[in-house]
Amino acid sequence: MLRRAGPSLRHFLLERNCSAGYSSCSSEAKMSRPVQARRLEGVDKNIWVEFVKLAATYSTVNLGQGFPDFPPPDFLKEEFTRAFSGEKHMLHQYTRAFGHPPLVKILAQLFGKLLGRDLDPMTNVMVTVGAYQALFCCFQAFVDEGDEVIIIEPFFDCYEPMVKMAGGTPVFIPLRPKAPKDGKLMSSADWKLDPAELASKFSERTKAIVLNSPNNPLGKVFSREELELIADLCVKHDVLCISDEVYEWLVYDGKEHVRIASLRGMWDRTVSIGSAGKTFSVTGWKVGWTVGPNRLLQHIRTVHQNSVYHCATAAQEVVAQGFQREFEHYGKPDSYFVQMPKEMQQKRDQLVQSLVAVGMKPIVPEGTYFLVADISEFKSDVPDVPNSDEPYDSRFAKWMVKNKGLAAIPLSAFYCGPHKNNYNSFIRFCFAKEEATLKAADDILQKWKLEKTTP
Amino acid sequence: MLCASRSFSYLGIRTYQLRADLLSRSIKLSASDTMAFRHKNTRRIEGLDSNVWVEFTKVAADPSIVNLGQGLPDISPPSYVKEELANVAAVDRLNQYTRGFGHPLLVKALSQVYERVCGRKIDPLTDILVTVGGYGSLFSTIQALIEEGDEVIIIEPFYDCYEPMVKMAGAKPVFIPLRNKNDGNSASSADWVLDPAELAKKFNSKTKAIILNTPHNPIGKVFTREELQVIADLCIKHDTLCISDEVYEWLVYKGKKHIKIATLPGMWERTITIGSAGKTYSVTGWKLGWSIGPQNLIKHLQVVHQNTLYTCPTPLQEALARAFWIDYKRMDDPDCYFYSLSRELESKRDRMAQLLQEVGLKPVIPDGGYFMIADVSTLHVDLSDEDGNQPYDYKFVRWMIKSKKLSAIPLSAFCGPETKGQFEKYIRFCFIKEDSTLDAAEVILKNWTKQKN
Repeated sequence: MLRRAGPSLRHFLLERNCSAGYSSCSSEAKMSRPVQARRLEGVDKNIWVEFVKLAATYSTVNLGQGFPDFPPPDFLKEEFTRAFSGEKHMLHQYTRAFGHPPLVKILAQLFGKLLGRDLDPMTNVMVTVGAYQALFCCFQAFVDEGDEVIIIEPFFDCYEPMVKMAGGTPVFIPLRPKAPKDGKLMSSADWKLDPAELASKFSERTKAIVLNSPNNPLGKVFSREELELIADLCVKHDVLCISDEVYEWLVYDGKEHVRIASLRGMWDRTVSIGSAGKTFSVTGWKVGWTVGPNRLLQHIRTVHQNSVYHCATAAQEVVAQGFQREFEHYGKPDSYFVQMPKEMQQKRDQLVQSLVAVGMKPIVPEGTYFLVADISEFKSDVPDVPNSDEPYDSRFAKWMVKNKGLAAIPLSAFYCGPHKNNYNSFIRFCFAKEEATLKAADDILQKWKLEKTTP
Repeated sequence: MLCASRSFSYLGIRTYQLRADLLSRSIKLSASDTMAFRHKNTRRIEGLDSNVWVEFTKVAADPSIVNLGQGLPDISPPSYVKEELANVAAVDRLNQYTRGFGHPLLVKALSQVYERVCGRKIDPLTDILVTVGGYGSLFSTIQALIEEGDEVIIIEPFYDCYEPMVKMAGAKPVFIPLRNKNDGNSASSADWVLDPAELAKKFNSKTKAIILNTPHNPIGKVFTREELQVIADLCIKHDTLCISDEVYEWLVYKGKKHIKIATLPGMWERTITIGSAGKTYSVTGWKLGWSIGPQNLIKHLQVVHQNTLYTCPTPLQEALARAFWIDYKRMDDPDCYFYSLSRELESKRDRMAQLLQEVGLKPVIPDGGYFMIADVSTLHVDLSDEDGNQPYDYKFVRWMIKSKKLSAIPLSAFCGPETKGQFEKYIRFCFIKEDSTLDAAEVILKNWTKQKN
């Protein structure tokens, strides 16, 4: 029996799993009607599935997906081993659903200090399975069908499908590049929002705006003035702010990461999201958090308790220890939050140099561990295909990993469908990599340049 | 308009347009920065905020209370499981992202174990999704396959999250109770059965799925092949899905056999089978589970997963995979943890049953799982003084916690609105506890008996 008629009908006939030795080839009843929920419409594609596979297959140097290839800090690895070599076997059982008490306590302390506010660990903080799940909870808690959510392009790609899955309508506004001063390299700071254009995106239906600062992929660190612009509009239109601040510690050149929740009128309407993966170089631990007023967090807790309920105890325990250590070392030279951005800045500069030397034009990021570069000079290697469905930079990135062994991510991955061709000669590199990796990347680039100039 | 002028000076070099707008809105700005707020929660979570665990897990924090409530083992996981976790942090790459739909070593191990159990080829990449616990599998399955306009059949009593998850997906839960066939004299979980005619009536053209839980929480029922066939026949007849929550699959006692409904003819193509590391290895805090099924269903769960949390933690998946390989290799050996745990728990089950009987409670001996329900009405405890509107079992448990320092979970938490009256004389005990915990429970129960006599 078919339950949905019309041109979008999805019949599917099942493949029969006929393998020798197993009794699966019988006249099995087939599901004859479309089974997947409509909320999955248009959210099934995912760039990472394809590009991670390509990198795994072809790359010798992977500057694609955003994860460090160097180890986490020693103090964290030691904590992990210590926690699980002992007799504390209750660390293998459920902890408090909304966040392991030692972790929410230290997060409340630290972020209370950073926001200049008294935070209750039980009601103003909730732990999630990575910042990714925090984002999911926010959209599910606050975005209903008919709601609009403003997303600033380029954006971390999951925002769009998450808004859609919640029945919302994404409304996009691009950061627009302004040419840098003569002789200077373009900076992520040169990419800005047009205030009038931004204001025009707010409507009666606007429920929230997603802010990501420092921004993935550009590395832009929104200035206080830029944040005030956004804050004023949020206040004026009574809109929520979902503030993805996972790269909050990776800020360079003495720039300041300003937390929008600390701006006037914003605490009550902002959910700030953080990530242990980015903070402590342990992306595989999948520990994230939301910080905000109880009025908002109560609904995020409802989503959480009806979706995953508990997060793994092990990682939370160790992350709590890590934060305790950092809280005690805050501002000191041996603080990981001080050392890490220093090291990353050097890596950034190293990659910038490599790219400049071969003719790729980097946009120097103010933060994060990503860097976007203009590859126009290399276009001759990958001819344009007119009327192609695939954006140029995507084809370029695929060609590059297959032929040069260097993995990167096309910038079009971070734009909505209709805008994917707007900036299609840029690719994103991740520089959270060991010396050796960055050197190997440099070797590939130098060799490539040589091949181009040698007749 | 004090607040307005404060806003003004704060604005500094703001544009004139914004200043004017803010002035007109300035009534809303108060000194404490809180605003009249039109934003509420979404419709999908309306009414889903309360939860039995919020109250009863607080109890776990009080060391003076013997906690037989929440399903939390206080026994140690096997040593090799703990060791594997301690070892993984040393491998640097295991601290970074792994494959989104499941760590390769883990899905390979799962496919091997379940190929053996199911007697069918299972592709580790397309037929399996690793999730954040069995809970996460339920969520991914329901979000992927259930929507507004659908009905989902839920067998009562049920693990409490089924109902809110179905509602959050916009669908309508349709309840059918297990009924005590010996009416009043049920000594075994096997006595609790579905009425086939009643079940058949619950299926209609809107029925999208039925949620099956075997071994069953809270009763501990292990559905027989015949009982599963009744369900399967209806699924096939009405072309519905089966969401089979089998997290307690290894915890089966007394010569009972756990049968996977997905292995019945006609069922593989319409069933998602859910498993849990937490229950398999007594590591509930690892929060790893899995969904297994045909590619054309699993692919939709994978889409949900990639839009909700993307990947599960790597070190835990690696450690779990290593543990699975150890036990996979000894699946013919009685020492395999899949079998040894249930032997260990059977004696705890029997001890628990005896203790409850001695105090005059009527336990229902479970054929599987690590929960046991008991009829408390036999004690005739007068709770008319307690908070009037609550079901009897809630009142009883609160009273028992207060006066006996022993906790359990009220069974009406696991029922739909119509059957609360039927189940409110039962409470649920968890017996996956160390001997010392059961000893402490024994002391309480023996004193209780003495006080009565």
